[in-house]
Amino acid sequence: MSLSPEDDLNAAEYALGTLDAAERAEVAARRQREADLDQAIVGWELRLAPLAEAIPPAASPRDFLGDIEARLGGTSLTRDAIVDLTKRLRFWRASAVAAGAIAAALAIGIALQETTRLSAPHQFVAILQKSADQPAFVVTVNLDDRSLTVRPVAAPPQADKSYELWIIDAKLGAPRSLGVIDQSNVTANPKLQSYDPAIVQSATYAVTIEPPGGSPTGQPSGAPVFVGKLIPTGP
Amino acid sequence: MDPSSGSSSAGEDLAALMTRVASRDRAAFAALYRATQAKLFGVVVRIVSRRDVAGEVLQEAYVRIWEKAADFDLTKGSPLAWMTAIARNRALDEMRRPKPLAIGDLSEGFDPPAEETDPLASRDRSERLAALLRCLDALDPEKRKIVLLAYYRGASREALAKKFDHPVPTIKTWLRRSLSELKDCLSS
Repeated sequence: MSLSPEDDLNAAEYALGTLDAAERAEVAARRQREADLDQAIVGWELRLAPLAEAIPPAASPRDFLGDIEARLGGTSLTRDAIVDLTKRLRFWRASAVAAGAIAAALAIGIALQETTRLSAPHQFVAILQKSADQPAFVVTVNLDDRSLTVRPVAAPPQADKSYELWIIDAKLGAPRSLGVIDQSNVTANPKLQSYDPAIVQSATYAVTIEPPGGSPTGQPSGAPVFVGKLIPTGP
Repeated sequence: MDPSSGSSSAGEDLAALMTRVASRDRAAFAALYRATQAKLFGVVVRIVSRRDVAGEVLQEAYVRIWEKAADFDLTKGSPLAWMTAIARNRALDEMRRPKPLAIGDLSEGFDPPAEETDPLASRDRSERLAALLRCLDALDPEKRKIVLLAYYRGASREALAKKFDHPVPTIKTWLRRSLSELKDCLSS
């Protein structure tokens, strides 16, 4: 494993639970973009998991199922298609070719077209992800009117933080904000209309975690947690 | 078959439910909740102590289980181990949030369940638990107790330092050394 011994121990203490608040937050953020660290944490969780066998069940104060189900609602139709395709994405990754993720991403784009009834040409889609099997947001762009939507797929909820979308291209210089994006609903973003279509098509799209309401400086506060580039969604 | 989920038939049932939950089957999710909520509440309430807080953490954990179900990989562990890790992480996030440390809750009269109940005598013990306990046995008793308090009660380094009367850096060094020794022992 290419993980440093220090990071393996950070993963171990994260899994055990003894990191302090700042260390814990740092490791939680890093595991979003560092697959080695994420796998090390999972490995440690599994090493320690047998200990939980000794924990006796305990009666909860009441039945929470209704409350939990109420929190799940909203996106079932679209999610059905996306989850199905997420599995295909994982299958492609299992075949160990980068091209596979692109093929599956195309499949996601086609499914999105179906569920959102997008019929216009010049449709593009970008899967913003931390790794090939974990898409977090799906961006769709219609180049004709430069409309953009962002759909959360499996973005982890951020308590007291906002996700912010950025367009990054060498021709633009610094990253430009496309605004704060909703963690649970589709965000339709009109800001793309001021950009050259060629740049819209070639740019990298990135998501950062920011203070509530977005970056106070107008520039990303940290490294992107999810990134992706547009690909065409062919008929 | 996965020994860490208890009896193998229960583990297979949970695995079947997880597969259905991953395909967005609400009925399977309800069944998964019914089958596992008492276990996960037991995990969470030991860490956060307060039953009302534990109820909130439990709800968050199941929302996350629903959201992440497609990521579950049976080849890497049992459904219950995966769900337990999610519930523990939610509970630990709650406990580590900046606020007055509940050292008082930790300092009096509590012992890790492994020492209360002797899991080696349990009919549900798995080979994995037996292997882990053998490796824990090789640790110095005080260090073993520190690891178990951290796992079962979510004890922070500060709380452990106070309880065992050692500086925080010493606790950190011990924790890391103990975890390294456990890893080496488990892979040998």
